Amino acid sequence: MVDAGNLQQPLQRKPSAETFLPLSRVRTIMKSSMDTGLITNEVLFLMTKCTELFVQHLAREAYTATGSGETLKYEHLSQLVNKSKNLEFLLQIVPEKIRVHEFQEMLRLNRANGSDDDDDDDESDSESESDADAE
Amino acid sequence: MVERIEDLNLPNAVIARLIKEAIPDGSNVSKEARAAIAKAASVFAIFVTSSSTALAHKQNHRTITAKDILQTLNELDFESFVPSLTQDLEVYRKMVKDKKESKANNKKDVSTGDAVASSTSAAAATENGDAE
Repeated sequence: MVDAGNLQQPLQRKPSAETFLPLSRVRTIMKSSMDTGLITNEVLFLMTKCTELFVQHLAREAYTATGSGETLKYEHLSQLVNKSKNLEFLLQIVPEKIRVHEFQEMLRLNRANGSDDDDDDDESDSESESDADAE
Repeated sequence: MVERIEDLNLPNAVIARLIKEAIPDGSNVSKEARAAIAKAASVFAIFVTSSSTALAHKQNHRTITAKDILQTLNELDFESFVPSLTQDLEVYRKMVKDKKESKANNKKDVSTGDAVASSTSAAAATENGDAE
């Protein structure tokens, strides 16, 4: 019975009071956030566990996007981040890669659209114009 | 405070081990993917911390509690983490309690075994004297 449960939910693991990630490092990370108050040992433990779960969650979810036996690559992660609502906060951290010539194309298009952007006064006007053009 | 940006990185070896545990045996992870996961984990910790802090402040608390974190996870759509974390927390609280109790017991032992303690320290003193 227990085995069947484990098969369905690979996330199930033995609860434990041990952490793999170093508590001191997690404390530093927590403190880097603005106005974090006192960090109790219990909260530090919980956050460390939570971060460990997150690492495994991310790896497991991204891995399902690979064909089985394939290598887990950056692209699998960025795709996952792009389509998951709860990973929205990572969009700028794990952006989708684009090719240099695609980027150059984007730049060229931007320049073409914004060619009459020289006057700062008209900026909002020209922006709405280019929006209209796009539609 | 944070002096170098690297101080926010999580150790690579531990991250690699956690990833390996999560995916099937024998599968590979590219270096780039591992680095991205490590970075994402740091950002996740900051994100959850600041959200929990905001939640605590809303309730006029200055310090975040375990409850704040669990509630934040629910709000951020990571409710799947909560059951495991609740179990971990129970084990952790029990461990802390046991440690406290055994410490209290040790103290009692020391106070009753005063005579023994003084005789051993005397013995230690003579040993030290011999060594010198």
